[in-house]
Amino acid sequence: VSKALELGGVYGTLTGDEVALLTDPFFQLSTEPGSKIEDYALAVGKVRFVGDPVAIVVAETRELARDAAELVEVEYEPLPPVVDARTALDPDAPVLHEQAGTNLVWQGVYEWGSWEDAVAEADRIVKVSELHFDRFNSTPLECDGALVEYNRGTGQWTIHTNNQFPGFAAIMMGPAMRVGLDRLRFVTQDIGGGFGNKITSHPQLTAMCLLARKLGRPIQWTEWRTDFHLSMSHGNERWFHDTEVAVKKDGTLLGFRTKALDDAGAYLRYEPLGGVIWAQVTPGMYRWQHIRVDFTQVASNKAPVSPNRGYSRMQHLWFTERVIDIVAHELDLDPVEVRKRNYVRAEDMPYTTPNGCVYDSGDYARMLDIALELVDYPSLEARRAEAAARGKLLGVGIGSTLDSGTNNFGQSQLINPELQFSGNNEVATVKLDIFGEIVVTLGTTPQGQGHETTAAQVVADILKCSVDDVYVRAGHDSYWNSHAGFSGTYASQFAVTGLSAVKGATEMLRDEIFRLAGAVFGGVPPEALELADGGVRIKENPEAFLPFMACGAIVNANNAGLPEDLDVTLNCRYVYRPPFQVPDVERKYGNLTLTYAAQIHVAVIEVDPETGYYEIVDYAAVDDCGKRINPQIVEGQVMGATAQALGAAVHENFVYDEDGNLLTPNFYDYHVPHALDMPPLSTGFVESPSPFTPLGTKGMGEGGGAGIHAVCAAVQDALRSRGGALVWDSCNPYHRVWEMLDDPGKGARVTVTAA
Amino acid sequence: MNVSGERAFAAPREAVWRVMNDPASMAKTMPGVESFTVHDERRWTANVKIPLGLGGLKMKVDMDKVEEREPEHAALKIKGHGVGAMLSMTTSFDLAEADGGTRMRWSAEVKIAGPVGSMGQRVIQPIVNQQVAHVLAALEREVQNAVAS
Repeated sequence: VSKALELGGVYGTLTGDEVALLTDPFFQLSTEPGSKIEDYALAVGKVRFVGDPVAIVVAETRELARDAAELVEVEYEPLPPVVDARTALDPDAPVLHEQAGTNLVWQGVYEWGSWEDAVAEADRIVKVSELHFDRFNSTPLECDGALVEYNRGTGQWTIHTNNQFPGFAAIMMGPAMRVGLDRLRFVTQDIGGGFGNKITSHPQLTAMCLLARKLGRPIQWTEWRTDFHLSMSHGNERWFHDTEVAVKKDGTLLGFRTKALDDAGAYLRYEPLGGVIWAQVTPGMYRWQHIRVDFTQVASNKAPVSPNRGYSRMQHLWFTERVIDIVAHELDLDPVEVRKRNYVRAEDMPYTTPNGCVYDSGDYARMLDIALELVDYPSLEARRAEAAARGKLLGVGIGSTLDSGTNNFGQSQLINPELQFSGNNEVATVKLDIFGEIVVTLGTTPQGQGHETTAAQVVADILKCSVDDVYVRAGHDSYWNSHAGFSGTYASQFAVTGLSAVKGATEMLRDEIFRLAGAVFGGVPPEALELADGGVRIKENPEAFLPFMACGAIVNANNAGLPEDLDVTLNCRYVYRPPFQVPDVERKYGNLTLTYAAQIHVAVIEVDPETGYYEIVDYAAVDDCGKRINPQIVEGQVMGATAQALGAAVHENFVYDEDGNLLTPNFYDYHVPHALDMPPLSTGFVESPSPFTPLGTKGMGEGGGAGIHAVCAAVQDALRSRGGALVWDSCNPYHRVWEMLDDPGKGARVTVTAA
Repeated sequence: MNVSGERAFAAPREAVWRVMNDPASMAKTMPGVESFTVHDERRWTANVKIPLGLGGLKMKVDMDKVEEREPEHAALKIKGHGVGAMLSMTTSFDLAEADGGTRMRWSAEVKIAGPVGSMGQRVIQPIVNQQVAHVLAALEREVQNAVAS
């Protein structure tokens, strides 16, 4: 780096060797062999994927830093790469992490019920050789970034960042940097799109901290798009091999077994949690009773994966939906009827799945009916004929997701019994200030989902005031003490954890206001009081009214004479803790999430048989997220998730060549849906309040997986009359559809045998 | 990426061989050579600036002659390092006497890794083709100069 340092305006550099001296490897969640992986903020001695950072240059300007970075001399010795998970465990495959001695990072067998019983009851066994869920992510418009300052006097860092889960970043960074967590102050504002992709920026933040301390100046980092694609988190790529489905001839689904192979990329930054997260939705929406999943996760020379909107469940739900359509196709049954025959029924709710998860509420059959109505399903055969007259192949497809929300972190013990995580929590503070201002702080890290708006609604509802009287501080600052261990916005939980914390804190404040007012009114009991019009009054004597301004002023600035035993501060902090138990590790059994929002999407497409180009000509998305606090915000999430689905289904794919080069490193080659790519979209909803949450709400926003499958199924339906190719991949760009038209027998094989 | 071709020279095989095994002559055929160092008769190093569609790519290129059967065959391993790019190339050529001159058959396996390799896939192939054409034209000139002198 000496030549870079010689350039005027360069403040300093950081190399992998320095990082290895100054820090310990990041804590690994996995058991062996994955736990032996050594992961640092910069590559140490060996680069494991294109995009693995090797050195950092800090300069006066970003442009100067980039110029100086070009002067850094790196001696690379090319090594053979692993770019296909299916070959990662071959005996002659290059090993990424010598310490682990293998590319296997985690493996576990999940088995509930009895496959033998399923076979005994079945009429047919449908076998699918291979299904593949592609690698993509949700590409927030705003890439990662940070501004990090170090206070030499206190030994503390202030990290202004758009990391979306500072609690997780802190427990990764503190031990690695050999400092207590209170030395790491995280400050976030509205961070832009997160989608889970911004959970795993702790390596970059650690490097920033080291540089801020080394150079004695604030350090700023703004990630470029290409850097984001090359280096930041990708969604999990997953293969499903040797799938077998036990089914009765009427379409009753009894059980399945499969071998899941997950590609974690070069490092485990949040993995192998993906190896268990899918189990939140093990049977999908269906009443399978006998399930076996042999789950293997491997390392490859690709960017590390991390949560991505629908994390790990999306892959599994796409698989279950794909299997159901294939079964219907092979048994010549109507996919609608097969679904309805097998859905968990509304009257079965709350429904305990074979692995102990509890679906809280929902009516999937009704949702499907609404979705079909929105695309005028009865008219489809006439539309198919009309399209055929124009030389187009019309297809219709259904997809569903369960957006399981509010994690029980005890599920981490199913992948590593030594991990000391369980339950969940979130915090909020609500206070009445000296002039009666209602001020709310949130432990969540808002990304633009409208946390402030919905929190204000909940507070105003309880305090009987206008939402305009409620001020919700934007952002998150770990110094405000408004955070808990699991604070953050991820895994569809704000409407449950965030709003329940707000509700709890507001109810505490309400009760304090009653106690204060009761004392001021001369000993009136709380039950004789009520809130109204921005104040508190006696029910039987409404003219006895104390505005919030007076309450705030009395407690904060005019409190002489208040009863000594009046324990009131009007500054209330509440931690919401969902009712969870630690799962049974041996049986891999237990309730892994608190709520189950549901989505059913239906896509209608027209395919040009000459080119494979297709257009989505009609689309319906139906969502049930329990009680909707703000329908407009819910609608926005539904539309956003639909756009995510269509991108993943048609365009978005991280493609690597045989040497490990990412061929889609920016928006030049990686197309995300624009407004003009969106189809005619109809939305509908069902409202099934959750019986398990204080507000009846469910977390939501991660239902895009439904659309990925809806498009896959529509493609398969359209191709039925032209060779009937099996759609075995989650991403089907036009050229792939053309290939299926050209050679329908290529790809995965399906066989049906008598049981 | 694999590239290969044939080229005819109106010159004796020995003259072509001399040019292709003379570091100073070869330096004149390479694109964007800024400096050239000869370590011994088998190992050379060049600092080059390869014109890319997105701007010049500076690289330090090490060449190692790994096979030699004078005057008919040679093979080189070439490794290049630059910011955002790693070049790895194996190339060989065979010279045969033909029609009073020399016919050269050549082939090269080129790998470019790193961000440049990722971003430039659409442009690398035409750039490689363009540079090969430049090299061959320059080689033709060098051979003619050698014959003339």
